[in-house]
Amino acid sequence: QIGFSLSQCHPFCHQTQVRPLHGSGCGQQQEAIGMETRPETFSIFRTQENDPACQSEQHLGQYYTVPPSHFHTVFPHGLPPRYQQQVKTFNEGCVMVRQPALELISHLKRADYSKPTLRYLLYGVKGSGKTMSLCHTVHYCSTQGWLVLHIPDAHLWVKNCKELLPSSYHASRFDQPIQASNWLRNFRTTNEHFLSKIKLRQRYVWTKRESTEEGRPLGELVDMGVSRVKSSSDVVGAVLKELRLQAGGTEGGFRLAVAVDGVNGLWGRTTLKKEDKSPVAPEELTLVHNLRKMINNDWCGGAVIATLSQTGSLYAPSSAYLPQELLGEEGFDSMDPFVPVPVSLYSEKEFESCYLYYLDHIHFHHWLQHPHSQTEEGKKELIFLSNRNPSVLERLCAFL
Amino acid sequence: MAASLTGLLKPWTPRVLLVRWSRYNPYYLEPGPRKEVYHIPETELTPEQKEERELKSVRPIKAATNSVTSSVFNDPVLSKFVNMMMKDGDKIIAKGIITQTLENMKRKQVEKYHKAPEGKKAEIECNPYAIFHQALENCKPVIGLTSIQKGGKFYQVPIPLTDNRRRFLAMKWMITECRDNKHRRTLMYEKLSQELLAAFSKEGNVVKRKHELHKMAESNRAYAHYRWW
Repeated sequence: QIGFSLSQCHPFCHQTQVRPLHGSGCGQQQEAIGMETRPETFSIFRTQENDPACQSEQHLGQYYTVPPSHFHTVFPHGLPPRYQQQVKTFNEGCVMVRQPALELISHLKRADYSKPTLRYLLYGVKGSGKTMSLCHTVHYCSTQGWLVLHIPDAHLWVKNCKELLPSSYHASRFDQPIQASNWLRNFRTTNEHFLSKIKLRQRYVWTKRESTEEGRPLGELVDMGVSRVKSSSDVVGAVLKELRLQAGGTEGGFRLAVAVDGVNGLWGRTTLKKEDKSPVAPEELTLVHNLRKMINNDWCGGAVIATLSQTGSLYAPSSAYLPQELLGEEGFDSMDPFVPVPVSLYSEKEFESCYLYYLDHIHFHHWLQHPHSQTEEGKKELIFLSNRNPSVLERLCAFL
Repeated sequence: MAASLTGLLKPWTPRVLLVRWSRYNPYYLEPGPRKEVYHIPETELTPEQKEERELKSVRPIKAATNSVTSSVFNDPVLSKFVNMMMKDGDKIIAKGIITQTLENMKRKQVEKYHKAPEGKKAEIECNPYAIFHQALENCKPVIGLTSIQKGGKFYQVPIPLTDNRRRFLAMKWMITECRDNKHRRTLMYEKLSQELLAAFSKEGNVVKRKHELHKMAESNRAYAHYRWW
């Protein structure tokens, strides 16, 4: 009845808002409307600075977009699977600028590349953003023209291998043709422009009739490894050796970035078994053996950036995240000395930024669709449920 | 009559307290987990609400079940659906399937939104909860059939259905459809999201089943007078 009389007194008043009994409902609506009317050019959570080299502390907590042209060349592999799904849904790849990645990039800018390589190790709890920080750094290295050797997950090489061939080069080692050829294919996509410039310094003999001469471009070696799957593990070893020798060189010198995700898989145990059911140690795998040589700091002219990962690891408890626990004695001794970079959960500012990114409706329809998730109550609940853990928050917002 | 009854209802509690069972003395009041009700200050309450609050301070209250939360994202219809989908009491798996379904639906709709031309964008519904509720509405039958015995034979007689029964039938049909008519390799959440999206646009097998029920009821109109309630 109150509403009816209002409409009679104010014929031009289109909205006869009968005030709801619960006052909080009206207030929440107005808050949501307030967020929508923010002017489009000014966003707190996005930045236009898409070049990782120019990002600084003022961009902390903001999202930058990886240019779509770069995306498939820089990241054919290496991104977390849920992030790849998100990129496909949103039609854009946005990465948050965070403290660990900025720190790493500043170290890389100021390092002396005539000295032996520095090793950086990203560690943190599950889901805190180690792989994404690694990918941010890889993007920086790519834009600076470095040669990037990105191993998406070292654990993939120590488990679930269907074909284990005895190595032709060394009697007691084992080859993994499928994994090696997959990796070579992705390596070729990432570093197209380097393949023709780098020349081999040694002659490699594969079989009685096949050999690659000195002075041939690296591209030929890689193509051979992709096509001849049987010798692909040895090709990987050869590629790594060549790059190690030529990285610090003064003529045509390039900088080499070795980015390994899940580096704790290289030391430890494997789930692979030989034909007589005895377990295979990681040293007996060609790929692992060669990669370990790469991670040693006996070469110069580049950097090794590694991430620990409990998620894919074998025989490691789920609460372990520190380098000592995950690398084990052997691994820690080989990695020592390294620069540890801790990756923490989202700070309040970063959480705000992430929340606003999911709520953004200008670039794409709200990702957070539930009407209550757009209110203050919902936001407090998200903080409580996710504890500001990036991956947990992503999973929550996916179905809300 | 009410006065005499209230005198009989003593606030007794059995010696063995059945907390998780649902048979309570009618003296016990329902729990109210919504936080907003309690945030209203004293002055803004209507007389009914004041009475309710006083009653709550005197009477005992039933124990709330585990699935009821004060969370803003708590949806009773969705909880019911999760319970119906649950097998062997494994609610974690059932809840996981439902969340994956909602995510899948949202992704499909958002991708469709991006591909759609400008004019069509506003029509695409991206909220998986809205889609779920609308799809369930579209699957609810209006009229049902029951078997009534008359003169030695059983006849299928059209009867009105209560709201709860309609909701139950819609959910049951959805779940059985997704369990039975799918390819061996399709996962449950994938099939469920396909069915829900189809039901949202009034296509698909579940809506077809509802229409068939309506047609049967229409064809058996002659027996409607066999119903005596």
